[in-house]
Amino acid sequence: MNLQLTLAWRYLNGRKLRTFLTTLAVVFGVLVLFGMNIILPTMLEAFQVNMMAASGMVDVTITHQSGGAFSPQVTDKLTGIDGIHAVSASLNRTINLPADFVDHDSARSDRITAISLVGVDPEAVQSLHVYLIQEGGRFLQAGDAQAVVISQSLADAYNVKLNDGITLPSVNGNVTLTVVGILPPRTIPGNEEVLVTLDQALLMTGQTDQINTIEINLNTTDETRRNEIVADIEAALGPDYKAGALEAGSEMFAGLKMGQAALNMFGALALFMGGFIIFNTFRTVVSERRRDIGMLRALGASRRTIVGMILAEGLLQGVLGSAAGLILGYLFGAVIIALAKAPLNLFIHITMGAPVVSPMLIATAVLLGVGITILSGLIPAVNASRVTPMDALRPSVAEVEYKRRTGITFIAGLALIGLAILALISKNMGLVGLGGIVFLIGLILVAPAFLRPIAYVFGKLTALLYARQGTGELAQGNLTRQPSRVVITASATMIGLAIIVALGGMTTSLSGMMDTLVHKSLGSDYMFMPPSISVWSSNVGAGPDLVSQLQTVEGVGDISTLRFAAAAINGSQPVSLLGINPETYPRVSGLEFQEGDSSAYTALAEGRNMIVNGAFVMMTNAKVGDSIEFITPKGPQSYKIVAMATDLLDAKVTTAFISQANLAADFDKTDDIFIQMNLLPGVELESVDAQIKAIAADYPQFTVIAGKSYIDQMLTLVKVMFSGMYFMLAFLALPSLIAMLNTLAISVIERTREIGMLRAVGATRKQVGRMITAEAILLASVGTAFGILAGLYLGYVIIAAMSELFPITYSFPIGGILAGIAIGLLFGALAAIIPARQASRMNVVEALRYE
Amino acid sequence: MSIISTQNLTKIYGSGDTAVTALDHVSIEVNAGEFVAVMGPSGCGKSTLLHLLGGLDSPSDGAIAIDGKPIAKMPDNALTELRRRKIGFVFQFYNLIPVLNAVENAALPVTLDGVKPSEAKKRAIEWLNRFGLGDRLNSRPDQLSGGQQQRVAIARALVAEPNLILADEPTGNLDTRASDEIAALLRKVSKEFGRAVVMVTHDPRIAAYADRIIFLKDGSIADETILEPQNGKNAAMVAGMMKEIGD
Repeated sequence: MNLQLTLAWRYLNGRKLRTFLTTLAVVFGVLVLFGMNIILPTMLEAFQVNMMAASGMVDVTITHQSGGAFSPQVTDKLTGIDGIHAVSASLNRTINLPADFVDHDSARSDRITAISLVGVDPEAVQSLHVYLIQEGGRFLQAGDAQAVVISQSLADAYNVKLNDGITLPSVNGNVTLTVVGILPPRTIPGNEEVLVTLDQALLMTGQTDQINTIEINLNTTDETRRNEIVADIEAALGPDYKAGALEAGSEMFAGLKMGQAALNMFGALALFMGGFIIFNTFRTVVSERRRDIGMLRALGASRRTIVGMILAEGLLQGVLGSAAGLILGYLFGAVIIALAKAPLNLFIHITMGAPVVSPMLIATAVLLGVGITILSGLIPAVNASRVTPMDALRPSVAEVEYKRRTGITFIAGLALIGLAILALISKNMGLVGLGGIVFLIGLILVAPAFLRPIAYVFGKLTALLYARQGTGELAQGNLTRQPSRVVITASATMIGLAIIVALGGMTTSLSGMMDTLVHKSLGSDYMFMPPSISVWSSNVGAGPDLVSQLQTVEGVGDISTLRFAAAAINGSQPVSLLGINPETYPRVSGLEFQEGDSSAYTALAEGRNMIVNGAFVMMTNAKVGDSIEFITPKGPQSYKIVAMATDLLDAKVTTAFISQANLAADFDKTDDIFIQMNLLPGVELESVDAQIKAIAADYPQFTVIAGKSYIDQMLTLVKVMFSGMYFMLAFLALPSLIAMLNTLAISVIERTREIGMLRAVGATRKQVGRMITAEAILLASVGTAFGILAGLYLGYVIIAAMSELFPITYSFPIGGILAGIAIGLLFGALAAIIPARQASRMNVVEALRYE
Repeated sequence: MSIISTQNLTKIYGSGDTAVTALDHVSIEVNAGEFVAVMGPSGCGKSTLLHLLGGLDSPSDGAIAIDGKPIAKMPDNALTELRRRKIGFVFQFYNLIPVLNAVENAALPVTLDGVKPSEAKKRAIEWLNRFGLGDRLNSRPDQLSGGQQQRVAIARALVAEPNLILADEPTGNLDTRASDEIAALLRKVSKEFGRAVVMVTHDPRIAAYADRIIFLKDGSIADETILEPQNGKNAAMVAGMMKEIGD
């Protein structure tokens, strides 16, 4: 084996605990990055699979830019285009089914939670798709009413045979359709397709003479020719249409992307932290082995050999750590997915499969894990190569640096902090995130200058409280003689605590916001909830009948409904449009205004005005007063922004609120997808409950809940989310303990002779132990002081960035700070246990001989 | 033929008011197979001289030639190669790599030179056998006594077959018996294997094993003496001379 690798391996092997702890740092970094990243793609993939299968596999799928429906006459524009083999117009809607709708058995978990209702022209569609109808049945025919073709697997789920009826929700209540043909069991993943005639589908979704998909098959497989044909098709249809896959889930994707950005920041911080710990360890490794390295140089090892040796150690640790990180990260992801499965299924009807691991992701994780390890080892390695052979010959005395600490690094640090603050002012999310790390580095650079006063204050305190008889002062002296070393050790604590305090601030602020929003948005007495909250497009709404029926119930007061239309702005950016009743909505529900006030509701009724949320502003950079043009099924329409406000359900989704009158006029949407109502004052829930539930029974797509219980449910969910955050926090804080332990242990080894001398001149074991503990606690105090500072900045940054999007205000995390101080000092004391014992048990004669 | 030749070798540490002249115009010659001891009081410059001879440090002025090649102005890479191939070092604290065993430690210089590991080990084992360590080949430094560790270090110094061995207080950390063993071994290296050995020591008894002693004081050569081979009185004589110089 290569000499560098042999040496690296032996050194690592010789210090198993140290190696384990350092490698653990790599493991944590890779774990967080890898684990996080397999969760999101898994969700995305599950979603995509559903969408793909629902849209069917054809050459070209034409949809409207808005994602909404359009006239079937559009297909006429396609006649005459050369190269088109077949065209079929259809209306595709994903219908989420209420729990136990298919099997009527609450004991079994539902296999089918959503279906794709496909309304087709029976003749045209058969020119694109092949339908293998089983013996005895037939495919749909033109003019078929109440007829349906389903797969064997769906028939089994419904427990029906040919010519039996199946029930489906529709805008007019439940509809029973007769099974005229059965297709082979569905083997590909995704929703079951329910094929009906176009007319039947229109009836069930409450639309007239509309389609939302044109499927086209081409007569060639030649790539260039196909692109030409697609270009021809696009030209014929005009800019309002697009060729490609169905866009029905775009609001969902927007939400997922936001989450991904937040998680990636976590991953980046974890990796930064991991890199830092490795850097720290290698730095100490190099100073510890100065003699060995000097000797190797004296024997004729070149500088490059030395760099290679240290990097080989980094490589070994990086590879081992990344491998372990991958395995643990996969388990971590799998566990999270297993935990998230139930709530996701419940709230957005996505069935998730096993974690998706792409080779790309593995490559990235390994590359980052190994790369960061080697990169972190690089500076120490280069420093090691500068060790002169003379160092092997000189008796080693721990160096003392009493230089002035306000040199170039101090100025550079100040500059970095300045940059970070500029980033904060720029309000650009990416820059602000980067600013957080820049701020941390800046703090590390300026810290040495402040070390002495901080150590002085804490030193006095420690001396007073704990380490009397001069040991406190000794510990303080030990720290201040090597400020840069101390700062690097303390930085590990600093980063750990910064994260705790930052997230503490974020959590307090967030939970405050959630609380307000939950009560404001969902504070009504009753709610009719569709299966998917915020992914409105896949919900089947209810016609006006439902609301008028509810109004007849004695004791019911205001009723407010949400209506939905998919729209697009700036060409193809999807926007979720929600129609509200400007009169009742503020009374039953309500928005949290960031700009403007409740007078904006009245404005909605007075023309094409809209209230937009934070995500909308983020995407468009629009201000209150601006007008934005929407692509509607009837051509472009301009809406003026009258206020900026957010509700809970749509906080992450690009959303605009308009009046229901406008929604009907411009987007042809009149079905209610979400209903909230209040009871008249003094009316007891029990007196109306039975009546309301009876009316709701005809509309199984809605879950009827009393507001109070829903709020409780939501707040529980929020709590689960936050406990997940604290879990991650612990993940990030643990490595900083490891780093402290590591550096402290080394500082003891390095000063073996000094400690031996102290013992020789009469220091007791206890005193030596106390000195080391005092040193550790001092170190932790310094780290804590800076950590809290950095944490306050980071927390403020995160909240500031989020306030662009959510109505959130920064609340000072007193709890987080107190926890930070307690954890920091506890860590310091814990980290000192091993080194302090080591120091106090040292044999005096041995120690004095130690080199 | 001279292995070492220096002219007016001068080394000054620091500058201005704090400048310290460690070596002041020292000119020496050491021939192949010669065993030279360098003695003198603490701070006389003997270690500095050794470091300069080994290419570990560079002189402020003057010239050094090792094996006829001037090294004072050599770049680091060339110096590194010179140390690897032409010079063997023995240190006071042995400086063995704690994680390598005796054979691996002894083989280091040739391994660093790119010799095949099996071949490097073979050579190391030969030297270790010659020095009576045949039964400790796989022991790590912490499993060896001080004398044994120093013998491994001497084997390491010789494994690349250099013509020059530089030893810095090789017995400084050993008891009397082990010191005598090591000094005798160094003499054997010079006499039996024909290497030039330059040894820094402050122990007259150890210096007495050498052929010639150079006495340094305040950075310059204060005296120089050629010893009669192993007559039993050398140690006392050297001690006397040291006293005279003022140690």
